[in-house]
Parts: sequence; C-alpha cells; structure tokens
Amino acid sequence: MNEAASKVLERVFLKLGNLHKPIYPVMMIAAVKGICRPAFTMMDKTEEPETKRYTALREGLTEIIAIPTYFACGKVSASLANLFPAKMRGNAATNLMFMGVCAAALFAIPALCSVAIKPIMDVLHKKKSPQPQMQPILLSGTVKPTKFPVKYYNNFHSLNTFSSRMPDTYRLNNRIGGV
Amino acid sequence: MLGAITSAIANPHLTKVAENTITQVGIETTLKAIGRPTAILIDNDISADTKEYAAAKEFLYQATCLVTYLFLIVPVFKKGGFKLAKNVLFKNHPEFQKFENAKEFEYYTKLAKKSVADRKLTLQKEKVKDKYHPDVRKDLETNEKPEKYPLISSTIGVFNLLGSVLGLAVLAPQVSHAFIHPALRLIGLEEKNKKHSEKAEHSNKVDTKA
Repeated sequence: MNEAASKVLERVFLKLGNLHKPIYPVMMIAAVKGICRPAFTMMDKTEEPETKRYTALREGLTEIIAIPTYFACGKVSASLANLFPAKMRGNAATNLMFMGVCAAALFAIPALCSVAIKPIMDVLHKKKSPQPQMQPILLSGTVKPTKFPVKYYNNFHSLNTFSSRMPDTYRLNNRIGGV
Repeated sequence: MLGAITSAIANPHLTKVAENTITQVGIETTLKAIGRPTAILIDNDISADTKEYAAAKEFLYQATCLVTYLFLIVPVFKKGGFKLAKNVLFKNHPEFQKFENAKEFEYYTKLAKKSVADRKLTLQKEKVKDKYHPDVRKDLETNEKPEKYPLISSTIGVFNLLGSVLGLAVLAPQVSHAFIHPALRLIGLEEKNKKHSEKAEHSNKVDTKA
C-alpha cells in the first residue's frame, strides 16, 4: 500500500480504536441497520410494492428512533457517575453507560416504537395515499343519478299545444254520423 | 449496602466487558433474546397461538444472530483483519512484524498486565518458549511497563467494530432468516400457525357469505 495512504489510515485507525464508549457500536449498528434493512426489503421481488414500502418505512423509523434513544439513555445514565466518589467515577461512567444502553435495547426502544411508530405511519400513509378526486358525474356513466320521488301527472288535457282539439267527452257523445 | 452497590457498579471487570465491543454486543443481543420474547408473552392483546409463534420467532432470530456473530463473524474479522493489516495496510510497519497473528498479540497483552517475575515464569513454559519475537520477549522480561503497541490494538478494535456492524446489520439477519422457518416447522409452530390462519380465513369467508 502507498506510504501516504498508510499514514492516513494509521491516524484513522488510532482514533477509531480508542472509541471505547459503549454507545458507539450500538449507534453504528442501528445506523447501518437503518440503511440496509429497508434497502433489502425494497429489493425483495416477491412482495407487493405497497407492502414493501410500508415495511421499509417501518424498519427505517425503528432505527431512526433507536439511534437517539441509545445516545440519550447512555449519556443520561453515565451522568449519574457524578454521584460516585472521584476514584470510582471513570469506571462507573462506562459501566452506567453500558447499563443505559442495555436498558434502551430492552425497554426504552420497544416502548417508544410502540408509542410513536403507529401515529407517524398513519400520517405518512395518509399523505402518500392519493386524494379522492371529483368524479365527472355526467361523463362517467357509471354513477347513478340520485332518485327523487317523482309523481307523474297525466297533464295531457292541460297542454295548450292542442288547444283546437275537442275534449274527449264531447267527441264520445257527439260522434259524427252516430258512428 | 450502598457501598456494595457503588463498588458493584464501578467494578473494573465490568468496565473491561463494557469497553470490549464483542462482549458488549454479545450481552446486549443475549438480553434481547430473553427480553423481547418475554415482552411478547406478557402482552395480553394477542391471542395465545400468535403469542407463542411470535415469541419463538423472535427468540430464534436473536439467538441465531448471536451464534452467527460469536462463532462466525468475530473470528473471521479478527483473524482476517490482522492479516490484512499486516500484509497489506501496514505492510512495513515495525509493530506488526513482531507478532504472527491476533491470538499471539492478545496473549501478549495478558502477559503484560502481570508482574515481571510472573512473566518470566510463564515465558519459560514449553507452550510459549519459542513463541515471541526476541525484542518482545526482552521487553516482557525486563520492563515493568512493556510496550502497548497502540496501532495493533486499535486495528483489532476497528475490525471488531466493523465486524459487529456488518455482521449484525447485514450478515447475521440473512443467516437467521434462512434458519428460522425450518426451525419453526421442526418445533411444529409454523404448521400450527398456518392451520390457524387457514381457519381464520375460512371463518372470514363464511362470515362474508352470510
């Protein structure tokens, strides 16, 4: 390998190798899971596109919730080390952070997910689903017009169109030639 | 009582466990394998059959992830990472030339924590008689605080981290998905669940027609 590249890599490795805090690996795992799992789900050809999108979104959201939860639980529990005597503080901070991470994995993340994911998914799903459009009623031909109670009148006699026409009673009683 | 609790929390052995990526991730996954199925079984909103199926599936998923991680990913990344660093990434680095493999370095770090007299005794044993580079051996036998080789320990740490991330996020789920369904069928939960769902479907059909 190139000398300069090797030097850069050495510096990077020395820095990364000193990340001993328990929150870093779990946060990194959650971040990679948040990218890879939805990607794998979307690549699945056996599922329907809508189901795939829903599952991928759900998986992504779970990991998005997990990252800050790990961080917050770890940091908050590590801050409790200030209550310890100065001699023990260093070890106590690391151990408490580890306990916080375990508590987050066991209780905090499942609880937060069950509370937060459903409303978020509902909002996102509503936004994504197409709005019902106005149907062109007259052109569609499929929509039946509303039926109102219609009363039919035999208003034939009242029509002025045939004003010169003799009334039926007159015609029946005064038949020409008695026929 | 309070003193016992504080000393338990500030225990240096626990700190070592917490600072080691492999043990930390291993413990966390074990807790998940116990805790998540328990949480499913406690839930009263799910039917008994579904609970049993979901809990078994979750347990098998976490357990296979753990086994894959500990017995496949960790050794591969640790050994492979050290080899890659020694032969390619830091080929001419003097630190890497003094050790044959990652196992040898780990044994060295264990020895370095002992007293000089103890180290001398250990180094005379058959097992490690011709094991170490002369410089390393001399360092262990004479110096109270021998060299720490920060680049090697950092490299092992980085590859552990990389293995944990890639292993748990990408590789282990694939292995466990391949294993879960045959295992569930072997226990008899998959068939049961299928029958249950078929029953539900059948009852649904009857309901719709009625």
